[in-house]
Amino acid sequence: MTAAVEANGVGKRYGSLVALEDLSFTAEQGEILGVLGPNGAGKTTAIRILTTILEPTHGTFTVAGVPHTRPAEIRRRTGVLPESAGYPERQTAEEYLRYHARLFGQSRESARTTAAALLDQVGLGDRTKSLIGTHSRGMRQRLGIARALVNHPQVVVLDEPTLGLDPAGQQQMLAIIRRLTAESGATVLLCTHLLAEVEETCTRVLILSRGRVVAQGTIAEVARRAAAPRTATIRIAAEDGERAEAALSPLKVEAAGATLRVFLDGADSNEPLRLLVAARIDVHAYELEAARLSDAFLAMTEAP
Amino acid sequence: MTRAAALLLAAALAGHAASAAQAAAPRMTVSVDRTAVATKLGHTFVIRSTLTNHSATPAAGLIAHLNVLSLEPSLYVDPEDWSSHRTRYLTPIPAHGSITLSWKLAAVNAGDLGVYIAALPRSGRAVDPTTGPLVHVTIADRRTLDAGGILPLALGIPALLALTTALLKTFRLRASRAGSSSGRALRT
Amino acid sequence: MRGAGIVLTQELRDLWLDGRALALSLAFSLLLSVIAYLVASNRALNFLEQRETVNLTLQVAVAIGALLALLTAADAVSGERERRTLESLLLTPVSRLALVTGKLLGALSLWLAAFAITVAYVWFLGRGVGIAGDALASGIVVGTLLAVFLTSFGILLSIFSPSNRVSLSLSLFLLLALFAPTQLPSGATSGWAGDLLLRVNPLTAGEHYIGRIVVNGRAWNEDLVWLASPAAAAAVFAALALAIGAHYVRLGGGGSE
Repeated sequence: MTAAVEANGVGKRYGSLVALEDLSFTAEQGEILGVLGPNGAGKTTAIRILTTILEPTHGTFTVAGVPHTRPAEIRRRTGVLPESAGYPERQTAEEYLRYHARLFGQSRESARTTAAALLDQVGLGDRTKSLIGTHSRGMRQRLGIARALVNHPQVVVLDEPTLGLDPAGQQQMLAIIRRLTAESGATVLLCTHLLAEVEETCTRVLILSRGRVVAQGTIAEVARRAAAPRTATIRIAAEDGERAEAALSPLKVEAAGATLRVFLDGADSNEPLRLLVAARIDVHAYELEAARLSDAFLAMTEAP
Repeated sequence: MTRAAALLLAAALAGHAASAAQAAAPRMTVSVDRTAVATKLGHTFVIRSTLTNHSATPAAGLIAHLNVLSLEPSLYVDPEDWSSHRTRYLTPIPAHGSITLSWKLAAVNAGDLGVYIAALPRSGRAVDPTTGPLVHVTIADRRTLDAGGILPLALGIPALLALTTALLKTFRLRASRAGSSSGRALRT
Repeated sequence: MRGAGIVLTQELRDLWLDGRALALSLAFSLLLSVIAYLVASNRALNFLEQRETVNLTLQVAVAIGALLALLTAADAVSGERERRTLESLLLTPVSRLALVTGKLLGALSLWLAAFAITVAYVWFLGRGVGIAGDALASGIVVGTLLAVFLTSFGILLSIFSPSNRVSLSLSLFLLLALFAPTQLPSGATSGWAGDLLLRVNPLTAGEHYIGRIVVNGRAWNEDLVWLASPAAAAAVFAALALAIGAHYVRLGGGGSE
């Protein structure tokens, strides 16, 4: 099956400034790919190249099976929510969506129907006639998502869709994104710097730093590659508590009754188990905490 | 008197008679289609002049010129305001032929004025121009503008635009408020 | 071009239903009303002065109508850029050429509306002196050529200006520069250089043509050479605006990305 998005060696330079270097990845059909990176990593540059707003300096890419040499065709099949997109204050939500539906080639009637349906789906069904200038930040983001879906795209690109929203709003936005993209079967590129969003929503991640890809794969793969487990949770008999803490004294331990949390700090993950066995203390349960995406992200994107 | 002298005298007398005959019958005449015009201020009128070459040779290098003058001492006339084509450079008029010119004038001032056409050589020789008869033009005054008549326009158009603007804004505002107030408010 | 038609329709809705263009038209009509009333109530006004008043009214209409079209065009791309709505438009499959064409035609509607308002005033002022028809005909021809020229120029400024403020400022400067020769004493423009300046400047050439017809009563074909500059400016800049707009309408100002 053809990948929904495929990039090979895509790069962008502004004179001597390298904004993006050797971007190569694939996004399969129907998946949600998280594009992560700190500020200035090149996420928005990458997004703008893939959505044909910018031309790459070198490299090739295809979106929805269309090569980058046919930008209008790519735009026909792509829906985009740009970062910090503006909206015409004096238009209503319905007018705005109808206009963009028409720009994507829909008839007047079809545009009207599409606009009404999308506004309902993003929860703006009762705000169709109100001016966008009266909308809150969250409403505008919903409208932006509706606009990204107006052409029933095969690939949806969302650049910081929860920017400026409170936690509840972020959750609502992500829920909308998951529902709508699941219903449409579109491939999603979710560009964000919020790791929690990616962990909640994405199947795979792509991490950018200083214009380069530093990691890509599933969340577990990326996390594993970056760091060893940091803590172990051990359950013992309550009466063995003091002896266990003494046996584990080379390591930092937090005791809570019969449960011990041991901070490995680079030690071998089996070291606490060896120490307890050597002290002849029965171990009822031994659990290593999985490495988190945030650990991998920080490790891969921190300054040298 | 010898025969030769008599012949010479006869030739001289004939030549003098011919000159006298030429002086009596002009080589060029200018005539107009009418000598009186009555019209109103702001209207245009046309005077047609015919230049006739009475001589046996073509008349070339001629200019026809329109002149406008005030017959009232208090009335200022600038001929340029009355007609923008007051000087015509003519093609040769054949022997015993004529040319008719139309002169379009605009009645710029009210009062009594005179209009005449003159024909003169382009060479600039100091000869008397040949003029046609004076056309007496009487321009009646009329009120071309009315302060009262402008009021419906001056007030009506802005009022119509203001009303349209207000109606549109009201309509949009009502639609927007109706869209905002219906249904429960969304948190984001 | 279907895309251009869709953009044009939306531009017209944004300009006219939003009320901004109507408010400008209202202000314009008030100005003309004041001029017309002052003229009509002047009992000492003679025939020539009335012709000159018709000429003045027409010149004001052409100047302000073209100004409104220019300012609207100057906001066309740089305004979208500043309001952060340009990216959404660039993400549609509509060509840049269609986008620019729709916006250019939308801006021209300001001129057409200004002229439509002017018709009533010129008819009233000019019918008594028999020049209303000629005045309106010369006005629509000259005004449209100037509006096309200035609108196209405004679009070009809008494409390349880094901000809306720069675009609007440069537009106003252009208009003032074109009007400046009209304020020179007549002696300053009497030599060959002055005459050349008047002929080459589309604004002064167009005004001169209108004046010859309205004030001097010339026929429409007698001074056609004065229309050469407005016609050439309209053709050249319209072609430039469309050709450059097709390739250089980008997210960043200055033609940059």
